[in-house]
Amino acid sequence: MTQTTYGGPSAGGSDQRRPRPRTGPLAGIKVADFCWMGVGAVATRLLADFGAEVIKIENRKRLDTPRRLPIYKGEVRSYGDEDPNPDPDKGGLFNNYSRNKLGITVDMADPRGRELVLDLIAHCGVVTENFAPGVMERWNLTYPQLCEIREDVIFARMSGYGHSGPHAHYRSYGPVVQAVSGLSFNSGLPGREPSGWGLSYMDNQAAYYNSAGLLLAIFHRMLTGQGTEIDVSAVEAGVGLLGADLLDTLVNDRPSRRADFPRGNRLEHPECAPHGVYPARGDDQWVAIAVFTDEEWKSLCAAMENPAWADDTRFASAAGRVAHHDELDAHVSAWTAERDKHQTMHELQSAGVIAAAVQNSRDLSEIDAQIAARGTFFELDHPVIGPALFEGFPARLSTSSPDNWRSAPLLGEDNAYVFGELLGRDADTLAELAAEGVI
Amino acid sequence: MSAAQVTKGTSPVQQLTVVELAQSPAGEQTGKLLADLGAHVVKVEPPGGVASRRTGPFVQGQEDPDHSLEFWAYNSSKTSRVVDAASAEERAVFASVLAGADVVILEEPEWLGALGFDLDSLQAERPDLVIVTITPFGLTGPWKDYRTSDLVALAAGGMLNSCGYDDHSIPPIRPGGNQGFQLGASFAWCALLLALIERHRTGRGQLVDVSIHEANAVSGELANPYWFYPRALVKRQTCRHAQPEPTQPAVFECADGAYVYFALILSEQKAWNSLLAWMSDLGMAADLEDPAYQDVAYRQQAFGHVQELIEVFFLIQDAETVYHEGQRRGLPIGRLNAFEDLVHDEHLDQRGFFLQMESSEGTTHPYPGLPYRFTAFETTPGAPPRLDEHAARPDGSRD
Repeated sequence: MTQTTYGGPSAGGSDQRRPRPRTGPLAGIKVADFCWMGVGAVATRLLADFGAEVIKIENRKRLDTPRRLPIYKGEVRSYGDEDPNPDPDKGGLFNNYSRNKLGITVDMADPRGRELVLDLIAHCGVVTENFAPGVMERWNLTYPQLCEIREDVIFARMSGYGHSGPHAHYRSYGPVVQAVSGLSFNSGLPGREPSGWGLSYMDNQAAYYNSAGLLLAIFHRMLTGQGTEIDVSAVEAGVGLLGADLLDTLVNDRPSRRADFPRGNRLEHPECAPHGVYPARGDDQWVAIAVFTDEEWKSLCAAMENPAWADDTRFASAAGRVAHHDELDAHVSAWTAERDKHQTMHELQSAGVIAAAVQNSRDLSEIDAQIAARGTFFELDHPVIGPALFEGFPARLSTSSPDNWRSAPLLGEDNAYVFGELLGRDADTLAELAAEGVI
Repeated sequence: MSAAQVTKGTSPVQQLTVVELAQSPAGEQTGKLLADLGAHVVKVEPPGGVASRRTGPFVQGQEDPDHSLEFWAYNSSKTSRVVDAASAEERAVFASVLAGADVVILEEPEWLGALGFDLDSLQAERPDLVIVTITPFGLTGPWKDYRTSDLVALAAGGMLNSCGYDDHSIPPIRPGGNQGFQLGASFAWCALLLALIERHRTGRGQLVDVSIHEANAVSGELANPYWFYPRALVKRQTCRHAQPEPTQPAVFECADGAYVYFALILSEQKAWNSLLAWMSDLGMAADLEDPAYQDVAYRQQAFGHVQELIEVFFLIQDAETVYHEGQRRGLPIGRLNAFEDLVHDEHLDQRGFFLQMESSEGTTHPYPGLPYRFTAFETTPGAPPRLDEHAARPDGSRD
């Protein structure tokens, strides 16, 4: 295991990994970050990207799951196939989630560890957590108690169900949140089981709302000097993302448990066809095409070199195309099936038809010229993993660029900087705390 | 009266005036997130209204601009002002509204052009202005002129590749609810707040160029790390994580025809014993009570058999019971709620999540509440505006 030597160069042997003043709109903001797993780590990553000093608090006795998950270079393993004694610095998912953050280790069960954390909270003034409900309470770190440490504290709590109500203690992660909020039921072919989501969408979306909640609280404190507690329920964020289909039920009393819902890849509103995902050349390759107007339909026909079947009067209007969608799909599929998905995308887009290849992660990294030109993915080196790609912020800001200064912290990498330089503990004290497993 | 009400403290955005030129769920949701917190968001619309007003479903089938639920979903708390770009007089009114704005939310730069402004000169003339553009692929790059839809955004950005059924003769299936656009909105909202913080510190505004495509491309969770590190591609599976290799089904049908999500991780001893005790209590554990199943390797070997017994176990109970009893036993189980279930959920009810929103016609409907709660301030969102509801004042300001 890699360990920081106090007072010496930081682990990894490079001065480039030494904490330095940050740039960006959040420069000067400091966060005592108890977040772990996905939601919390993604939420505070945005703050770290834009200049906040986010200090990730870890416990050597209970490693953050992304440090354990076997997403390693050169080894293909499924999610559950963990190494019983993983190298905590080798996990790709952790690297992805915790770039630009500082990392410290501390055992809260030891009074000396607790004292360090209380000092850190007073120093930072922003506290974030996504533990199971009850953990912060057991540590006597509720909002009123944090306010005693620092009156203007911001305390962001991120959970599946929120911190009040009869199900507040229910266990959840992305797929459970998606199920309970209606986002899984919402997705699939009519007449069969929902296909839902192939990812923890709500880990990301709840994280983004948690980032926004933190930014609102920080902005509010800049304007008023006041702190706040923030309570975000991922389930509630999920319900808020259901859109007009939910209102159709709430306002029109139209049940969503009905024969023609969900709709697969077709739309009920607006009335349009063809609208779907069509086979492309190769194994399990697909292209999405969405035709909304008669003009786009004519453009699609022209791109397909005006086949005779397209002259059928049944296809002349949107209503006719919707009524004969199955037949239309068979014709379009016959045209797309022998063609490369990107070729179809580019030809149709150039002809004014909305279309895209169903891209996988290799396509995004190696073929997508837009991602390449915009620099969406960027590379940082890591002492154990080596160079790796990261998913960057998906917008360009003319003055507030992200400050991507370092890959994820090694376990305890910044103990010396945080406990020593920021909190003023001397080297002997830190050596003793390290030897006794407190940090 | 459609503005959000600040009911406690001061909202950090309540002093802001925002001009919104948007008609897709991406830009409209960004404006809604601001408006629901008390910002004065002037939604500038062409004669006849924005496209979302013409998109169904409609309230009780009334197909007119004031009864689109697509519009209602993304436009609460805003002010509506029709501006005819063909009229010099109305362009002058737009200019006066813009002159008082702190923020512009824009989906198509051409729309701003038709109203007499272009991005470059606007930035030069108004260095304090925060301009957020939310476009399909971004304002720059080789695909900048490509167009998008929700399905196409999910496809291009990689999300769709992870979603669908185990049966790969079925194409990937789009998750519902305009989530491709919503990802754009979430990042636009965060970027906008970052720009407001920067502006508070320096007095300077900026241009924020959000790409819906990129927002999708960075939100696939495991898919990109699986490619960045072991160079593996994930494959879609029915209602559970896309993975490099297939895993066991995690959606179970229950006696009432509803479904629950439960992914049993065999290596977790505590979860195994909770499940086993539950099955035993109902006399359904069969041979799983054999001590041999206490060994992870044995369980893994017999996974097919274990899975079959769990299927039967859930099939004889209704989904509501499975959900709450499973959770009571500490298992992360979720019921796949349909929309009509949500208003009856006791947890959401006790948290007061759904608002009773009064429409501009005086009728009242449940409406989703805010995604975050602050102790320092609270706001109550207001109704979506009727078309040109706020025309009385030339500057678009509210009563």
